[in-house]
Order: sequence, then structure tokens, then C-alpha cells
Amino acid sequence: MKILRINMSGNPTAKFEELGEYEGLGGRALTSAVISKEVDPLCHPLSADNKLVIAPGLLGGTAAAMSGRVSVGCKSPLTGGIKEANAGGQAGQVLGRLGIAAIVLEGKPEGNDTYKVYINKDEVRIEKDNSIKMLPNYDLIDRMKKEYGEKIACVSIGPAGEMKLSGASVAITDMELRPTRHAGRGGVGAVMGSKGVKVIVLDDTGTTPRQPKDAEAFKDANKRFVAGLQKHPVTGQGLPAYGTNVLTNIINEVGAYPTYNFKEGRFQGARKISGEVEAELEKQRGGNPTHGCHRGCVIRCSGIYHDKDGHYLTKQPEYETVWALGGNCGIDDIDKIAMMDFLCDNYGLDTIEMGATIAVAMEAGILKWGDADGAINLLHEVGKGTPLGRIIGNGAAFTGRAFAVERVPVVKGQALPAYDPRAVQGIGVTYATSPMGADHTAGYSIALNVLKTGGFVDPLKPEGQVDLSRNLQIATAFIDSTGMCLFIAFALLDQPETNQALLDMLNAFYGWNMTDKDVVEYGKKVLKFERDFNTRAGFTKQHDRLPRFFYKEPIPPHNVVFQVKDEELDQLFNW
Amino acid sequence: MQAPEAFMKLTVKLFGGIKSTKDFPKNEEGDLIVELPSEISVAELIDELSLNKKPFIVVLNGVILHDLAIKLKDGDKLSFFPPIAGGLLN
Repeated sequence: MKILRINMSGNPTAKFEELGEYEGLGGRALTSAVISKEVDPLCHPLSADNKLVIAPGLLGGTAAAMSGRVSVGCKSPLTGGIKEANAGGQAGQVLGRLGIAAIVLEGKPEGNDTYKVYINKDEVRIEKDNSIKMLPNYDLIDRMKKEYGEKIACVSIGPAGEMKLSGASVAITDMELRPTRHAGRGGVGAVMGSKGVKVIVLDDTGTTPRQPKDAEAFKDANKRFVAGLQKHPVTGQGLPAYGTNVLTNIINEVGAYPTYNFKEGRFQGARKISGEVEAELEKQRGGNPTHGCHRGCVIRCSGIYHDKDGHYLTKQPEYETVWALGGNCGIDDIDKIAMMDFLCDNYGLDTIEMGATIAVAMEAGILKWGDADGAINLLHEVGKGTPLGRIIGNGAAFTGRAFAVERVPVVKGQALPAYDPRAVQGIGVTYATSPMGADHTAGYSIALNVLKTGGFVDPLKPEGQVDLSRNLQIATAFIDSTGMCLFIAFALLDQPETNQALLDMLNAFYGWNMTDKDVVEYGKKVLKFERDFNTRAGFTKQHDRLPRFFYKEPIPPHNVVFQVKDEELDQLFNW
Repeated sequence: MQAPEAFMKLTVKLFGGIKSTKDFPKNEEGDLIVELPSEISVAELIDELSLNKKPFIVVLNGVILHDLAIKLKDGDKLSFFPPIAGGLLN
């Protein structure tokens, strides 16, 4: 495996180099190490000094099930700190098969030309192509299919990335070669846009899966790993049947579903936009409620969503997307939400940031609560780059400042996702302290606070939440580095034999002797890279806080405030 | 005339394909309205409901349940969810 460095300054160049000091790192560990070691923390995120790192995980490109995640890292234009956003889709597996541990986009072109990059097993071509400038993602991928055939995977940005908006995502194509899987958070698409790179086309024709050091042991471990995922109720039943949006009803019932910009914990229209409804509509309309987002996925929590006329509209909108663009804005029309999901994918936008931003705009009186058509128009404004669209496209914090809104749910400038931190206090700790800004995936306390996977910590009380979040943040940093989908954690937490199977797989592949203790050290190392970068970028413990309204405004129905003390939050990284 | 204290009215919400094999009256949202003798436990209610699927998660008045022996009271709201997580009650 090698690092491919593409320098976009002057005449763009590409060169491969050995992993060197980055040996043994993959996915998030590799992106965070490169950013922490090579990027000036005080640089402007859109300057030539920033880098965009695209890395498959340690098991990317192998026959390991669930190993197709790809990490995208940079200094974030949204938070000003380090960022790793990861996505499913095909790119992770294809990069691995091409022998690429990371693509590092460096420098910056002087003019406004748009470039595409084509990579196969024999060559890297960097070509100027201004005919693709400002194309939405779906149109862009159609063009790439005509040029390069259909056996490719693409990493691309939409107009939002080209406009360098802080809500811009990096799109990854799925198995149907649609740009539906997004490294959404933190404005990573804006950094790709600042490098002048519109699309990276990956072609693994003529390649084979990466081979393990001990093939028999690897095969056996993978078999045990898959069996463990299939027997667990979350990964074997709930997620395949209803997708991630199966969470809507239960999070709503436990009073943790942020509604009307985090004013209430329950939404009257929740059932109308639930995973059960989505799955039924997908069956009725000829879509598909059970689908994998990449080769080798055995959980298959993704799906295909058709419109009322039975035509493809978008992939099955995820729980967080449905919440952000739905309940949080008072919108209970699942077809309108699906349309917004498509628009975000097409323009290249983070659905969580956009939903939170539209709710802030509603709080400001720009739209009425529940105005789905108004929300759709706002997303079109972002795609067109109108002055209002550029404000919205820069996210909730920016929009809150533009319209003088007091209640803006962000940490380190990044919008809170779909779980209220007052009704699930553990996720509040993760939102506050993650180096990424508010991020539910960084330490998914919902698993223990609500779903009772791997134990239980009372979600309404502050006790035990810091320890819970710490342990989950460490474990998550490791999983994000393997290239594994985070959903494997449900089975890992409940089934020690499935956790062991993952370790056995890594050890068989690399010839390692990794134990649970090593996993903890690995996760801590990743977090240390990230914390160090943020410290040098100017972050202090005062940045590890929730907005104060979460401490003052009790949320119904439980009427609780966030109760974890500041001094307890400061203990999270004291290991 | 005041309702006898020996009875209580519960609202039961069923999600994710969970159904009762018995006939109960429903409210406007399709939730079951179950009238039963007081002092009944959650476990006894589950028997009474005769659900088509197990296992499940139970939420009582917005709080995840750990103990099915807990006694119910008039006006309680219960929700049953399919196996979307580990650590299930039954």
C-alpha cells in the first residue's frame, strides 16, 4: 500500500510514496495523522496549506465483510479544527484494491480551472475539464460513466463544494454508481473544491482483493464475524428490515427526538416519517428497503426510495437526514424529505447541517415551521449560489449569526445531530468533547443510554456519562480506522466472540497480535493526533461545551436540562 | 358516575410489525386502548396482549423498562418496539 500525493499547485503532479511513519495506520488514523503532522493548524482551511486526505481503512480492498468505509480528513472550514468524515459506497474497496492507502490532495491551483483525476492500476491522469464545472453530482456521474464506463467508483463534489461552502460534502458512489454516500460533516467538500478537483474516478479493472498473511485464519475469522453480525438483533434484523430510520419511533417515544430546533423532545408527526413507513413505501413503489451501500456489506441497512410514480428518487433517507430535514423543521411529509435528501446529494451538502440550518432559518422567521416546499426552495438557493443560499450553505452557526438567532445548536461550529443531549446525556458529552464538533458517530452513547446494547446507563442522569463517552470515543476511533462500518459495534458490544473475530481478522491479515488492550491504545493514539491539532489551532476546554440553552431550557416530556458539569467534561481525555 | 377503582385504562403503541392477536378498541392514531384490572404488572399485560412477535423493547411513559414486574397505573402509556438493539427484556 502506498500514499498517492497529488499536488495541485502550478502544473498538477502525482507521485506515489511509501507509507513510512504512517505504516499500520488506516482510515481515520491515517487521515488524522497526516493532517496533524503535515498541516499548519493555523492555516486557512481553504488555503494551499491545507490538505485533503482520502483513505480506505486497514481492511479496505480485502475480502473482509463490512470493510468499505472511506475516511476523508482535512482542517475543517466549518469547525476550524481537525476533521474526519467517513462514508460508505464503493471508493474504499476500490482504493484498497488499487493499493492506495491514501490520496493526499495538496496545494492549490492559481486560476479557476476545474480538474478531474483518473486512477487505475497503471496510471494517474490529472486533466483540466471546465465542461464539468458546477455540475450537480448526479449529472457529473452520468458524464463520468459515458467517459470511463460503468466499472468505476467516483469521489466527487457538487456545486456547494465548488462554491467552497462550509456545509459541502464529498460524495462517494454506491454499487449502482449513484452519488448517494457522503462524507458529509465539517465542509470537507469545500476543501476538495479549494483544490480545484471536481471528481476522482477510480477504476480497479484488473485488480484483485488484497491478500492476507494467513489466508486460512483470515477466512475463518471473517466467517465468524459475519455469523455474529447476522445473529445479533440490530445488525441481523432491525437494520436490514427498516434501515437506520427504525430509530425515529423509539427515539421519539423516549422523548429524545429534537423537534422545532431542539425545543421539544417529541414530534407529533414522527410516525409518518418513520422507518416502518419508508420500508412500506419502498416495497409498494418498487424500490428496495434492504440494500447494501457497498460490496461486502452484510447488514444492508440502506435502501432505494422511489417517488409516487415509481421512479427512482434517492437512496433510502437515513434516520439523521429524516430528522434534520423532517421533525427538526416540523416537516412530516416523507416524500418531501426524500426530495430534500436527493437535493443535498445532488448539490453536495451535509443533510444534518442543512436540516439544522433550515430549522435555525425557521427560528429566524425566514420560513414557517413545517414549510416543506419553502425548505426545498432554500436548498435550491444553495445550489444556485444566491446570496441567501450561500448563507444557508455555510451552516447553522453562520446562518444563526446572519439572522441574529440566539438558539443555535452547534458545538465547535458544527450542528448537533438527531438526539437531544438533555434526554440522552451521554450523547451530550460526546457532542461537547469530540474533536470533530457535535458528532453522534464519534461516541454513540445511544447504544447504551437507549438501546441497551452492551449495558445500560440512565439517559436522563449525568452519572456515568463521561466514562461512557470516553470508552465509546476510543473504540470508535479504532473502528473508523479499520474501514469497518460503525454499525458492527452493536454486535461487538454484546458478543465478545464477534469482537474477537474482528481482532482475529486484523491479526491474520497483517500478522499482528493485537488484543483488546492494543485496541484501546490505538484509539487513544488517534484521538491524541486530533486533540493535539485542535490545541495548536487554538481550541481550549471552553470549546468542549454545549450551547448554554441546553443547561437552562428543560425539554419536554421529561423536562430535564443537560446536567453534566463542565469540570466533569474536562476529565474526558484524562486517561 | 365514577369509574370503579378496580379498573384502569392503558394506551399501548405497537411498532415495527408487532401486533396483538386479540381485539382491543383503538384510538384515532390506531393505538390500543386496554382496560384491565388495576395492580397488573407489565409482564401480565404482555400476556394479556398476546403479541405476535418476541423479543421486544418496552418503553413505559417515555422510559425504557428494565423490570417487567413493575405495576401499572391508570393512564400509563406503553410502547413496544421490535428487536433493534441488544439487551432485550424477553
